[in-house]
Amino acid sequence: MFLKQVDLTTALRPAYLPDEVLLTMWGSMRGKVSEDTSLKAKSDEVIPSKNKIPDYQNGHVYLTSHRICYVDNQDPRKNSTAIDLKEVDRYEFYAGFLKSSAKITLVPKPPKRSSIQNRAISSLYSPSRSATASPLSRTDSPFHLPTPEPTPSSTATWICTICSFSNPVPSNFDPTTASELTTPLAPCLNCGIKPQFGHVLKAAISNAANRPSPASSVPLRAPLPVRGRTDASRPHSDVGNEPSTMQSQKSNQQSQEAKKSTSIQCPRCTFLNHPSLRECEICGARLSPEAASTGLENPLLRAESPGPTLNQLPAPGTEENESIKLSFRGGGEKLFHERLKGCMTQRKWLLQGAPPVPKPNRPAGADTGSSGTTTPSGERVKTAGIAGLEQRRLEVRKNNELAIGNAFEDLETLMASAKEIVALAESFATSNGNGTSETSAVANALGLVTTKEMLGGGSNSESLYISELSRNLAEFLTDDARGVLRKAGGIITLVDLWAKFNRARGGVELVSPLDFEKAARLWEKLKLPVRLREFKSGVLVVQASDRTDEKTIKTLLFWLSDLHSLPPDRELSWDWQLFGRGVTAQDAAENFGWSIGVAEEELEMAEERGALCREESIEGLKYWENWIDDSQSPSQSQSYNVI
Amino acid sequence: MSTSSPIQPSFTPTAPSLPPYQPPPPASKIPTSALTTTSSPSPFTYPREHSFPPFYTRQPTLQTHHAQLQKWSSLILAYCRHNRLFKLSLIDSLDSPLFYNQRIRKRLGISDVKEVVEFMRREGRAEWVGKGGENSAECWIWWRTPEEWASGIYEWIDETAQKNTVLTLYELTESEATLSQEFHGMDPDLLQRVMNILVKRGKAQVFGQEDQQGVKFF
Repeated sequence: MFLKQVDLTTALRPAYLPDEVLLTMWGSMRGKVSEDTSLKAKSDEVIPSKNKIPDYQNGHVYLTSHRICYVDNQDPRKNSTAIDLKEVDRYEFYAGFLKSSAKITLVPKPPKRSSIQNRAISSLYSPSRSATASPLSRTDSPFHLPTPEPTPSSTATWICTICSFSNPVPSNFDPTTASELTTPLAPCLNCGIKPQFGHVLKAAISNAANRPSPASSVPLRAPLPVRGRTDASRPHSDVGNEPSTMQSQKSNQQSQEAKKSTSIQCPRCTFLNHPSLRECEICGARLSPEAASTGLENPLLRAESPGPTLNQLPAPGTEENESIKLSFRGGGEKLFHERLKGCMTQRKWLLQGAPPVPKPNRPAGADTGSSGTTTPSGERVKTAGIAGLEQRRLEVRKNNELAIGNAFEDLETLMASAKEIVALAESFATSNGNGTSETSAVANALGLVTTKEMLGGGSNSESLYISELSRNLAEFLTDDARGVLRKAGGIITLVDLWAKFNRARGGVELVSPLDFEKAARLWEKLKLPVRLREFKSGVLVVQASDRTDEKTIKTLLFWLSDLHSLPPDRELSWDWQLFGRGVTAQDAAENFGWSIGVAEEELEMAEERGALCREESIEGLKYWENWIDDSQSPSQSQSYNVI
Repeated sequence: MSTSSPIQPSFTPTAPSLPPYQPPPPASKIPTSALTTTSSPSPFTYPREHSFPPFYTRQPTLQTHHAQLQKWSSLILAYCRHNRLFKLSLIDSLDSPLFYNQRIRKRLGISDVKEVVEFMRREGRAEWVGKGGENSAECWIWWRTPEEWASGIYEWIDETAQKNTVLTLYELTESEATLSQEFHGMDPDLLQRVMNILVKRGKAQVFGQEDQQGVKFF
């Protein structure tokens, strides 16, 4: 099934997969019925029936880098679902007309495909494709197709800053291990000027980021080229144009691993374009999205006559062609569509599981990739004992230095190696020991925090932001690893929490106190497991929602009853075995781990309920068990008896 | 008269002691025999709240505060009954064991005492002396209300067959014959008031000059 079950966090947000990043979300808090977002499924494209999925009619949608998650407003635990973006073949946008609201249709990839068609595509594509693309598509596609022309080519190129000639990056140039001093660089093949180290490194990294494991795939398939020599078979014109190369890679990739129906045939030159393109890559003619091509299967159909029936034709070989419609009843579809588009282009899910930047001690590439470089791992000898440990530490450190050095080379490289940097930050955090909770929160904050800009503009984006912040906060509070509430004795003032939360966000995207309070007030409405409580004095505190005043009083009284049996450290003038002792707010704060302010408020609350009474003296304000009010006093049976 | 210094427990060495303190019953139901109790003198026993430190702090919670006032009211009534006090001087009594617990070094403040008395006044168990209201320095403590006193005295007259005999007021409260009675040593002002009540009821007649007043019961 296309729809997948989704795990929800305590705050009823989808639990993120590793590396998953929240891009945007939509939903609304306003109104009573306010069916904002609903899922509609069409069982068959041919019959445009309006089969709405029951129970999925009102909720909010999260778009992450990997998934689209739908969380129901009514029964989130039961009726939440997710769609993996990698299974989405294409998506269509419908702007809405009169009463029909804007919709985004997601068409899943069909489960099977015919190999003949694939071969047809690849052979169709390969002449015009750059040579760099073919190894890539080979590695990415789930089915390793036989490529018509296996081109032995180096994977990365760097462009000479002097003559703009595209030089191949030496195949043994390993971005993780290379350093400015140790790695010799060949001059430009055209003009003979030596390139800057960073320039080559950048090219290598961006190349590595684009394809999962280029360094390993190349030597396996092609004879190892001698360093510094150009690859004759490579057409220069292709390599020089970076964006177009990537673009073509993508469309190639797209068409191979997805069904061909995804690509759009150009009406003028019949080139099959990537579906997200508006204009033909080759001739620049305008493409109509309706012509989402059935072109290959049905070559007679022309894009010039894009009737509404065209895309209703089921592709041959696909018996079942179901799609999911997201209906945006409360607006927000524009932004969602935009982000979805970006997301489908980026294809972050391809990165998952693949090493982001090749490492020197990668098991597969260790024998080939690092042979020519000067990494210590290349000539690593097995050493045991302390020397071996030291050696390994040294290697790790060098590697880390390198990663950090690479990352800050410039922004582009940073983005390429962001994943590794986050992992580093995490490892630093754990080795720091005591600061764990807060520093790991920084790493956390890099990905999973809702920010204002994620939600973009719009009429109710503000309330949406607040509600998301509210869920964020609830997660932050209930996170067992962090134990914010537990450390504060189960209750924390809102101000303290605000400070903690902002600190955990690591100084970016700080939350304003106003938003914070608004978010906290939403907890009850969103049925989250924490609640905001207002004391008589107006102090706002946060505690778990199962913690009631009665429970607090009970624990207070239990504590006070203990004092009856504990002998005091000094002589007391009253009968402490009968009355126990008075406690100050400070005593309570120490005993329960509360802050003083909270202790004061809790004691006052208990007093107001009649469980405690107060004693004012030069020693300060003390609270006692209520022996004055007989209905409250600990031993009601003795009432009115003179002792 | 000794009402201005009502503090010393030794003030009524011969006074019959009361049974352990009971909450004041409604005025109308007092059995008259209660006026003639006889037992050995014993020191006043304070309720346990008397040594409970918070008892001396005004409680802000309404319910607790009400309970506090009630306890104080009972304590004052019991204390006055035990010590045969009819009138309480606020300033003097502040240092008395009633409001000052030496053991736990706690005392009730003057304003709190006034609040208690005011509370008792509303319950018909106290009355400010004079017309100053809360500003008065003294107050009557009605562990027996004047009406109860009137009935009590009349009953005693009846029981001792002194109807239609003339008694001086001094004789009534200070003579040895009334030693065992609760109204022995009654404040003259209060006695005057009680007599007035009896006169109104038509059960007595008061005559004579200021210091030499006599009374005749019918």
